[in-house]
Amino acid sequence: MKFFKVLTVLALMAGTVKSQELYVFSEPASNMPSKSIGVRLTSEGFFQPQFANRFIPELMVGFNKNLMVHVQGFASDMDGRYRVEGGSLYAKYRFLSMDEAQSHFRAAAFARLSSSNRPTYTEDINLEGDNSGAQAGLVFTQLLHKLALSGTLSYTKSFENTGKQQHHMPAPDQILGYSLSSGYLLLPFVYKNYNQPNFNLYFEVLGKTNPENGRSYMDLAPAVQVIINSRTRIDLGYRFEVAGNLPGRYNKNMYLARVEFNFFSVLK
Amino acid sequence: MKTIHSLILFFSLFAAGSVSAQQISSAELQVTGLTCSMCSQATEKSLRTLDFIETITPDLNRNIFVIEFKKDKGVNIDQIRNKVEDAGFSVGNLAAVFNFNNAKIDENGQTILGGTVYKFLNTKSRVLNGPVKANVVDRDFIAGSVFKKTAAQYKTETYAAGKGTVNGKSTRIYHLTI
Repeated sequence: MKFFKVLTVLALMAGTVKSQELYVFSEPASNMPSKSIGVRLTSEGFFQPQFANRFIPELMVGFNKNLMVHVQGFASDMDGRYRVEGGSLYAKYRFLSMDEAQSHFRAAAFARLSSSNRPTYTEDINLEGDNSGAQAGLVFTQLLHKLALSGTLSYTKSFENTGKQQHHMPAPDQILGYSLSSGYLLLPFVYKNYNQPNFNLYFEVLGKTNPENGRSYMDLAPAVQVIINSRTRIDLGYRFEVAGNLPGRYNKNMYLARVEFNFFSVLK
Repeated sequence: MKTIHSLILFFSLFAAGSVSAQQISSAELQVTGLTCSMCSQATEKSLRTLDFIETITPDLNRNIFVIEFKKDKGVNIDQIRNKVEDAGFSVGNLAAVFNFNNAKIDENGQTILGGTVYKFLNTKSRVLNGPVKANVVDRDFIAGSVFKKTAAQYKTETYAAGKGTVNGKSTRIYHLTI
């Protein structure tokens, strides 16, 4: 019920404000600008049963208008003391871009290769820190007047060695991922210059399913975002499970805080 | 002696005139797909890497950049489009002020200004003089649907390709409407 109220409010706001695509828990089909660099530091974690968090430093490079790459490192105290867990390489290629004055439709393909030294104890797969594996997927983003929606589909295969496997616990193998995201610009109503902060509100639905046994979960993930000087971005979000039967899953009821700096047109 | 003097004066005036006259002095560039000031900033920074641009004034609410060009550098219209696309967006509209100096528009609507070939879709067989504001209506300078409509309306051979044979050579032709 609460969910539909939120949807209604968002739908009403969509009529009056500009839409946003800088999603917090997923990536849009649009790419970062060519010859630009972005640097991110993300902190994500949970408060129950006891507070633990992960730091993700991230470098993003826009090679050309269609290809961008992210390199990430992971460190957390989820297994006791803070330690480096691994890294990840993510590439996204935009293969379709249909721009009209008031709308656009974009599609991109992405792939991720990850390594993690964490022990495995669940059939869930999270390539951002918890597992080693490979992922491929498609993302579609539609801007319709002032409403922007984005959908992602992915397939993930884990490459875990059995030595990391906890006894009598489920082993990861493969998982399907999907998400539906929306974003809205709340402020400013009227732009004056680049220095005005932008305030954005996001609402995302994130899900995963193990294709072998159908075990799934679905999260709702609201987030707020402030963009300062049109180049520095601050995200704050929380994802909570609304339905699911996947035991021991990662990223359950986690906060996410992120700061991102963009350096446009700095590469030759 | 007096004749030579006046001749020198005449030619120096002519020379000065042709050096300082920029063929395209300014443009209003509308970019589609911009959804935030960060996108606009990225587009502006991308445009600023072009050496023939003097100033850029953004209108963040209408996604329009008013561009003033340097007087001593040749303007490359395709490069403007490339820079917008590099930033991840598209040109929705480009209206530029062309400075014609008694330019003859032939019976096909074609003329050459500063070595660049332009073809008017909606005017021909006339002389243009002074500043003329015209829209570049080539592919990827207007919305895709508008391009198709325009192509169907004017049925000009060079329009679909954006180029044609000029003096025996395959040449980029910009199509304009006024």
